[in-house]
Amino acid sequence: MLSIKNLHASVEEKNIIKGLNLEVKPGEVHAIMGPNGAGKSTLGYVLSGREGYEVSDGEVSLNGKDLLELEVEERAREGLFLAFQYPVEIPGVSNMEFMKESVNAMREQRGEEPLTAAEFLKKAKEACKQVQLPLDFLKRGVNEGFSGGEKKRNEIMQMILLEPKLCILDESDSGLDVDALQVVADGVNSQRDGERSFIVVTHYQRLLDYIKPDFVHILADGKIVKSGDASLALEVEKSGYAFLGKAYEEAEA
Amino acid sequence: MSQWLEQVIDAAQISDYLAPVRQQALEKLKADGWPARRNESWRFTPLTPVEKREAKQAVQTESLPIPAIDNLNAIDLVFVDGVLVTQINTLDVPAGMSITSLNNDDAATQQAISSVYGQVKPTRHMFGLVNDALCQHGIFINVEADAKIDTPVRIVNMTSQDVDAHTRVVVKLAEGARATVIEQGFGDTESLTTAFAEYDLADDAHLEHYRFAMFTGKAKQLGGSHFKLHNRTTLNSTMVGYGSELSRLDVDIHHAGEFADAKMNAIYLLAEGELFDLHSTIEHAMPNGTTEENARGIVGDKARAVFNGRIHIHRDAQKTLAELNNRNLLLSRRGVINTKPELEIYADDVKCAHGATVAEIEEEALYYLLTRGVSRSKALVMLNFGFIQELINDVPNTAVREWLAPILSERFAQMEVK
Repeated sequence: MLSIKNLHASVEEKNIIKGLNLEVKPGEVHAIMGPNGAGKSTLGYVLSGREGYEVSDGEVSLNGKDLLELEVEERAREGLFLAFQYPVEIPGVSNMEFMKESVNAMREQRGEEPLTAAEFLKKAKEACKQVQLPLDFLKRGVNEGFSGGEKKRNEIMQMILLEPKLCILDESDSGLDVDALQVVADGVNSQRDGERSFIVVTHYQRLLDYIKPDFVHILADGKIVKSGDASLALEVEKSGYAFLGKAYEEAEA
Repeated sequence: MSQWLEQVIDAAQISDYLAPVRQQALEKLKADGWPARRNESWRFTPLTPVEKREAKQAVQTESLPIPAIDNLNAIDLVFVDGVLVTQINTLDVPAGMSITSLNNDDAATQQAISSVYGQVKPTRHMFGLVNDALCQHGIFINVEADAKIDTPVRIVNMTSQDVDAHTRVVVKLAEGARATVIEQGFGDTESLTTAFAEYDLADDAHLEHYRFAMFTGKAKQLGGSHFKLHNRTTLNSTMVGYGSELSRLDVDIHHAGEFADAKMNAIYLLAEGELFDLHSTIEHAMPNGTTEENARGIVGDKARAVFNGRIHIHRDAQKTLAELNNRNLLLSRRGVINTKPELEIYADDVKCAHGATVAEIEEEALYYLLTRGVSRSKALVMLNFGFIQELINDVPNTAVREWLAPILSERFAQMEVK
């Protein structure tokens, strides 16, 4: 599915990712944890192709395609989905208009006919219900005036509608109460079908009680410094990142 | 003095019933001379493409295919390279309206034309004076009192070759009359068009007006639409400007009666090295008038937009409501927008507002849409075309609205973002 080899990336000439390796196979859920400033969000931006995030070395392939050669929208159409930590508010563009355009771009990529307005509305309403957002959210501006929790649920709704192959969830649990967390986790779990893969970036073990990871990786100072199974997350929860020793102190500095 | 203007003055030898106006125009052209570089009216719009030009004659050419506005059932009047090619006497004109050439022998018609020709358009517009002096091909549209004409009249100005085209439209709506007039100009080859229109709109008349200034490339246009409103006259005008080597529209709306209402929406979409300049002046000379003017544009690549919007509220024009707004989106670092809204108020009981903004692309929002697989050009349209779409949605004529929406969004989608 996704193969990252020796990835180096920088923002404004500051090296953030420093030799990251990661293999994600179909159907797997990988959690990435790590202290602040380790490069967790940067990884999502680099993989999605955000402008200003320069890759200086390494290779990334998604289903055999060289991801780094593709434009942002092409990566999305290849099945990469990034759920944002802070989704952008776009007044003046309705959720409905936006998602219809987006869903039909994916369908075109798969060689399918575009959905009619009625067909799309039906799907959108179902997805909306699934993440417990009121239906009038479809008519409102993208994320306009949404609470933090509503924005996160809107991201999950988009994920459900777009049916991506690889989902990167960037702190989709931050700022959520337990009920909202459950809704987000249920949304994610409903999309686990043995083929679709997930990279779950989080600070807290809590989310991983709801979304069971196959692997947990600790990212510190731009590299994965430790990998293990779900028990690694529990260890972090209990004793923090002290085991990282010197590397952690540098990352925090 | 410019070579072009000298030749224009030398060539002006038309002795017809409009001779007094033509003569006055010539005198003023001679007295004023060529505008100096610092002249406020042309400060951001260099006239170099005209200055050293050879003045040329309009020439009779084969008629060209007229671009259709789908589903618009209009009376079409067509000028090609400055020559009126439509056989006016073959037109099917509704009762209450008459359409005649400016060249006619009827004393009453000549008198009606003379009451408008050069009388509504202020004399400060140099190219308007050139048009006064040189125009040989023009039309006069007269609508009788209380006649409600549903069929729009469309006046098309096309240039296809190296010419100077001077065309004129004179419109008179009598009391309570209603009409729709569309002025449309286009061409992209080397040419110069001065197309001026004057509208005298009597008490309670209503005019729905469009001006599509779609000259591009090397087709220079220097034109204007000028309106005189009387008591309770209503005007709804929509303008669209593309840019060319030199493209300038002057608009004047004169509130000469009370309770007149003017609404003007203007859109400009400029790409490559295009220039479009819109100068509007609203004169509120009488009380209780309202004006709402919205000019919105998108400027890409090395294009330049010039907007100058002046509202002048005279001492007696109490209870005037006037709003003027200019919004711009600048797509490129090399693009230039010069905008200047001006309010000049001499009455003390009025409500006026004006504003101008220049925005740039919001990169974060664009990135967000792209990560959802939306193509770059569609994402740009979704994010940035809304404020233009609002004005398109405001177009009263359905066929015109449905024709404009796709061609403008397509033009925008093709504009280079750098």
